[in-house]
Amino acid sequence: MFKVTRLVHLAEGSTENSGPLSGHIRTAITGAERVLVAPTLPGSRNGGDLLVHAQFATEESWAETEPALDAVLADIAVSHVDGVDYETEAAPPAPRRPGSVYRTLLVGVDPTTPADVVADFEADLLSMPRYIDTITTFQLSRPRRAIGASRWTHVFEQQFTDEQGLMGPYLMHPIHWARVDRWFDPECPEFIVRERVCHSFCSAPSPVLA
Amino acid sequence: MPQAKVYVIDRVVTRPGCAREFVDRYLTEYAPGAQSRGMVLDRILVSPPIWFADDSNTITACWELSGTQGWWEMTWKGRPDRTLGQWWAEMAHLIESRTRSMASAAHDVDDLCDV
Repeated sequence: MFKVTRLVHLAEGSTENSGPLSGHIRTAITGAERVLVAPTLPGSRNGGDLLVHAQFATEESWAETEPALDAVLADIAVSHVDGVDYETEAAPPAPRRPGSVYRTLLVGVDPTTPADVVADFEADLLSMPRYIDTITTFQLSRPRRAIGASRWTHVFEQQFTDEQGLMGPYLMHPIHWARVDRWFDPECPEFIVRERVCHSFCSAPSPVLA
Repeated sequence: MPQAKVYVIDRVVTRPGCAREFVDRYLTEYAPGAQSRGMVLDRILVSPPIWFADDSNTITACWELSGTQGWWEMTWKGRPDRTLGQWWAEMAHLIESRTRSMASAAHDVDDLCDV
């Protein structure tokens, strides 16, 4: 599966254009097996105003639609886009509960980080669903291409039961603040995520990760 | 029900002869900012309790925070402040190694995990 995510930031005063723009984006994305275009929910950080996510059978399918999407995102109403293109080899775990919120986290790990440390970081991220049962399914990937504010090295997708599952248990469980957050905390010696992250989430009435 | 306290623990192995200077600078330069972010200094321990001139000491600073929400409020205040990382970088010449860990009382673990 080849996946594409774009976090679309609208220019100031352009939020009323999000509806028409969403329509143009959906029209531009052809040949995808799954498409999500939705306004981000309050609480997103650097997550943009629209979350765009599409899944293609092959990278070639994406290449055919990419120019059309780029043209739409060149709209004057769009001020900035963060995004990743990435391939996933294995399917994510089957959802253990229904989920109504899709969340994506774009992370840029310091490029000087040794490979074994990156592996520990990834293992920590992947441990979270074992403790936080409001994460219904998840997938961690390394982007093939990154665009926007940082050189994104990882994309961590999750489906949550609902907004409360993200804003409550995900934040409040010790696995997050007492274990995983050390990689993001400039005061911890493990600090490797030195640039801002994009934490973006939206309603997703049908499964995105499946 | 009162929120379970959570703790931030800095454990620093100082370079030989540097423990006293590190503790002085931690208390005068680091602690005021930490307190402004809601951290309450519980104690600073020096092990062994000798200001070695030619050996390392282990310094343990234990900070209290009012629950998980207090921890997040502390970190959200500190995260954008680039001077915090710079302060630790400036202390590198005094430090052999260090860790920062988060903890709670044993009797609070189940409550903290019940989210």
